[in-house]
Amino acid sequence: MTLNLLILLGSLILIYFLVDLIFLRKSEHRIKQRARLSNILLIIGVLGGLFITINEMTLHLFLQILFLNSVELCVLILATTGIVLIFKTSITTNFAQGSLATVGAYFAAKMIIRWTESTELEMVQIIALAILAGVVLSFIIGLFIDTVIIRNAKRVTSVGKQMITMGLVLMLIGGIPLIFGTLPLPFNALSYEVTTIPFGDKFLVMPNHNLISIIITVVVLTILFVALRVTKWGLGVRATASNEIVASMMGVNTKVITALSWAIAGGLGALAACLYAPSSAQVTVSFMTPVQVNSFLASVLGGFFTFGGPIVGAALINIFTSIASFFNSVWANVIVYTLILLLVLVKPLGLFGKKTAKKV
Amino acid sequence: MNTLLLRKSKDKLKAFTKHPYFGYIVFGLILLAAQLLTMSGMIQKSTMDSIILTLIYAVIALGFSLLLGYGGLASLGTAGFVGLGTYFTGYFAGTLDLPFGLTILISLIGAVLIGTIVGFISLRIEGMYLAIITLGLSEILVEVFKSFEAFTNGVDGLSFRTFDLFGRLMSDEAVYIIIIIVFVIVMLATINIIKSPTGRALLAMKNSTSAAQSMGISLLKYRLLAFIISTVYAVLAGMLYMINSKFSIPTTWNLALSLNILAAVIVGGSQSILGITLGAFMIFGLSPAILSNIQFFIDHPAAISIFNGLLIILVVMFYPGGLIRLLQTFVAFVKKKYVEFKQKWKEYRYGKDE
Amino acid sequence: MNKFMLERLVSKKEKLIQKYTFYKTFLPISINEKEEKLNKKIEYLQKNKELTLKQYAINAGIKVDYLEAEKANKLQKLEEKYSLKNKALKQSKLRALKKQDETEVNKIFDEKIKTLLASKEAEKEKLNNYYAPSDHIDESLTVYKEKETEINTILEAKEKVLKDNYNQSVKKQTERVKNKVKDLEQKIENLTKQIDKAKSSIEDLTYGINDEVLLRLKDLTMRFGGLLAVDKLSFDVKKGEIFGLIGPNGAGKTTVFNCLTKFYNPTAGEMYYRKNELEVTKLNDYQVHNIVKLGIVRTFQNVELIWELSILDNLLVAAHTNYQTGFFGQLIHTRGLAREEKVYRNKALKILKDLNLLQYQYAYPLGLPYGILKRVELARTLMTNPRLIILDEPAAGLNDAETEELSKTIRKIRDEYNTTIFLVEHDMGLVMDVCDTVCAISFGKKLAIGTPKEIQANKLVREAYLGEE
Repeated sequence: MTLNLLILLGSLILIYFLVDLIFLRKSEHRIKQRARLSNILLIIGVLGGLFITINEMTLHLFLQILFLNSVELCVLILATTGIVLIFKTSITTNFAQGSLATVGAYFAAKMIIRWTESTELEMVQIIALAILAGVVLSFIIGLFIDTVIIRNAKRVTSVGKQMITMGLVLMLIGGIPLIFGTLPLPFNALSYEVTTIPFGDKFLVMPNHNLISIIITVVVLTILFVALRVTKWGLGVRATASNEIVASMMGVNTKVITALSWAIAGGLGALAACLYAPSSAQVTVSFMTPVQVNSFLASVLGGFFTFGGPIVGAALINIFTSIASFFNSVWANVIVYTLILLLVLVKPLGLFGKKTAKKV
Repeated sequence: MNTLLLRKSKDKLKAFTKHPYFGYIVFGLILLAAQLLTMSGMIQKSTMDSIILTLIYAVIALGFSLLLGYGGLASLGTAGFVGLGTYFTGYFAGTLDLPFGLTILISLIGAVLIGTIVGFISLRIEGMYLAIITLGLSEILVEVFKSFEAFTNGVDGLSFRTFDLFGRLMSDEAVYIIIIIVFVIVMLATINIIKSPTGRALLAMKNSTSAAQSMGISLLKYRLLAFIISTVYAVLAGMLYMINSKFSIPTTWNLALSLNILAAVIVGGSQSILGITLGAFMIFGLSPAILSNIQFFIDHPAAISIFNGLLIILVVMFYPGGLIRLLQTFVAFVKKKYVEFKQKWKEYRYGKDE
Repeated sequence: MNKFMLERLVSKKEKLIQKYTFYKTFLPISINEKEEKLNKKIEYLQKNKELTLKQYAINAGIKVDYLEAEKANKLQKLEEKYSLKNKALKQSKLRALKKQDETEVNKIFDEKIKTLLASKEAEKEKLNNYYAPSDHIDESLTVYKEKETEINTILEAKEKVLKDNYNQSVKKQTERVKNKVKDLEQKIENLTKQIDKAKSSIEDLTYGINDEVLLRLKDLTMRFGGLLAVDKLSFDVKKGEIFGLIGPNGAGKTTVFNCLTKFYNPTAGEMYYRKNELEVTKLNDYQVHNIVKLGIVRTFQNVELIWELSILDNLLVAAHTNYQTGFFGQLIHTRGLAREEKVYRNKALKILKDLNLLQYQYAYPLGLPYGILKRVELARTLMTNPRLIILDEPAAGLNDAETEELSKTIRKIRDEYNTTIFLVEHDMGLVMDVCDTVCAISFGKKLAIGTPKEIQANKLVREAYLGEE
């Protein structure tokens, strides 16, 4: 299989240079057509690679692994969307996204413990309510962070803003043990049942928790995207993203826009953390770190310019990881990260990024 | 003729104190003196430990400041490179038992290679994207540290023993002195780079790529150079770390360390050598050296983290020039107050001028 | 002998010439420095002589200038000290009057003032005594004379040694540099001969472009997606002229510049540039950062300075390609680097002086007036040994007086630095005033080319600017 993949890669590179040398050399739009060519070859490459590996591991197994990992995918997509939302409105990468989410998850876990003792609701209801509580807390903290800190750091450079979010990480991580205690808290899944789906002559197993996660994610994202398209806030986000000063001069209240974006990003992060926590059955201070790293990479892979791109990036990362860990669980992460690195080198502005010419 | 000699030597001394190296060499001598005092028991060993640790991190931060403060290139892969330095030392000088000089050579070559790779990446990817991609690179390195057991001994961590240098077994005290000397050399090298055409070229590249290019500065060359220098510094610091603490474990070299280095550079002041050293002390040395002796922080160790975070946020928001700028403003303030006070005292003593 | 070899020879020659000029400029700077050092040493010796002879001179009652000055100085200091003390006494008396009875206070302070005056007199007398000649003046005089001759001989010998050393080192250095220069001259001559020889044996490298033309654009085309920014533009820029490119907004003027300096790669067309007396090269084959090595340097529409460096350092950045010291040399700050720094610093100072910028040398660009910044950018271009300076809207944002000065400066630069200037400008007054040739373009197409008067009279140009029918 490795041989097949290498042959695929080699032939694609060969085709690129051959086409470039033979057909595109005389073209007036060489650069543009080159980009188009590399896009097509990239898609062929990714699809071909998927085909080869799926062929090797059979479609059934592939789907099964994908189903089992679907909760990670949902988590990654939610976290990535939060990061992109903040990048668009505050022009900084938010390192505190993971910690913010962790605080929400801790709060939810604490609420689960309290409500199981004091109320007689069913477990599912308690967990759902607790998740809601965690999301609300992170929402409020996000709002708070923007109004108190980010809003007053308008003149700070984007690296400086990164530093601020980093300081926030330290504060949140330091604050968690003070408020919630130093021990990890248990966190139950929404459901431990599984659904079986017939697939040919075999069956695919889908845990109900994953199913619910997918539904929640789809619903939340749909609402978010509709809001981005339809509401005044969405228009404001898009205007702020393209040019904050002009937006504010045109009467967009950028303060409210950024504050809401931070709040929503916090909420999305907390939701992601609460869905992710059951896979290790507990919440610890640093359990969101891998998700955080992956969602950064997903945003770069998809490009920060669109909301759809990073989601595709997240999906690609998830699929790559699933496949790679099937074949070689020890080196899986190395392989996936290297692959992403290579993809980003080919498309420096992300898969869906557009190049803007610099004026001199 | 004595008076002449005196006069001459006075002038010479003046010239010497104005030499750009003077402050740094004095700083190094103070550190050496502190080490001697520790050996005689006048300074607590734990204090000196944290100072030495600060110096190691300051070496990384100096390399990083050449990258960020001068080259304008943000990287979050520093931790991985430092880790690489520790494993180079641990594997070649420890596991394989090669001579230490050879180990240094191999590590430097490795550093240059890695720096070149990252430099090439930086030509295609810029700004925030570069930061995240280098973060990815660092993650790859950490994963390699975890998985490549023959080289790194996996997640259990690699230990290191005492080593020979110049045919002599190095004790802990000798290691401290080595670290201080290397630190001073690194500071001097850094100031030489900053005050040379290379430093100016890096700043030009940061401020305006178009102006830099039209003045004949090749972006390729100087981006590569910036990354190579900072990687060499990082690997060097990794080696110092290994000979000092004699143990390296993959989880040390994570994102948090890279961010802390970034914080040290920003908090200290990204272009001043003493500022960066101060920043490194604030981030890495403050809690073990001072805070951990205060009862409140012993009871609540998590509060140290909150304190650090708050410090970073406050410095970035209100003193974008870093703590060194704050210090400079403070000194200027004291000077101004002193002049004012002198004037007032004169008025009191001699009355107002008619 | 082929083209490649010839190119190598020519570039070698250029490097040698660079070295040659470096040594020539370095010598006077270095000698100057040595002389300063020598003078300082001699000054020390003189001072020392005075110090040793002082006591004898006093004893002998000789009036010497420096002794008088010293005495006067000391007396003045004494006066100052006591006047201050007096003032302080008055002040404390005032304060005391608020608390105590007047007569008593007066009594105390009168006494205090008396003692003060007494001590002043005492000190004065002491001073006078110190400077008074001894009782045996004749004896002291002979002693003084003996001492003086003794010290003078020593001094002379020392001075002579110093001067000899100085002369020798200067001679040595001059000789060394001369030898080097001679050597270089020889080498350059040899190379020139070789090149001449090769020239005859090789095909023409000038693309049929005659000597006078420095830059030729031929059918230059630049396309951004669907937009045709520059459309088959061709014109010549002659050596030593001031060439103006004009056109309405969006006519593609800056795009032409960006193509020339390789910030953009032109879609089609050639840009020929006379590299040296023998070769014309195509700019299309060069990279952005190598353009400056050909002697082409540009300014930018919105000033692009290095904001974190002082004005002097900004100019030194422009000398970047001239530095011969490698990275490791810079790492340990070799003597060669110090030498080079000295030479280029001197050059930068000279340029700053020429452009009336000397008072800003240590200032940072941020916060300086726009006119100054524009001039700094101009000064920066001069640091690169330019043959063709490209100015992108040099008068934008300047007021009338500044513009007038600018046109003078541009002419001065052309004449004194022996360069060609190619500029884009909106200010018609400046263009018509300063340019020898003007080319008008609109929507990337050439409308007309000629002297400023011809362009002013041209109908097409008027239409493009005013929309006349």
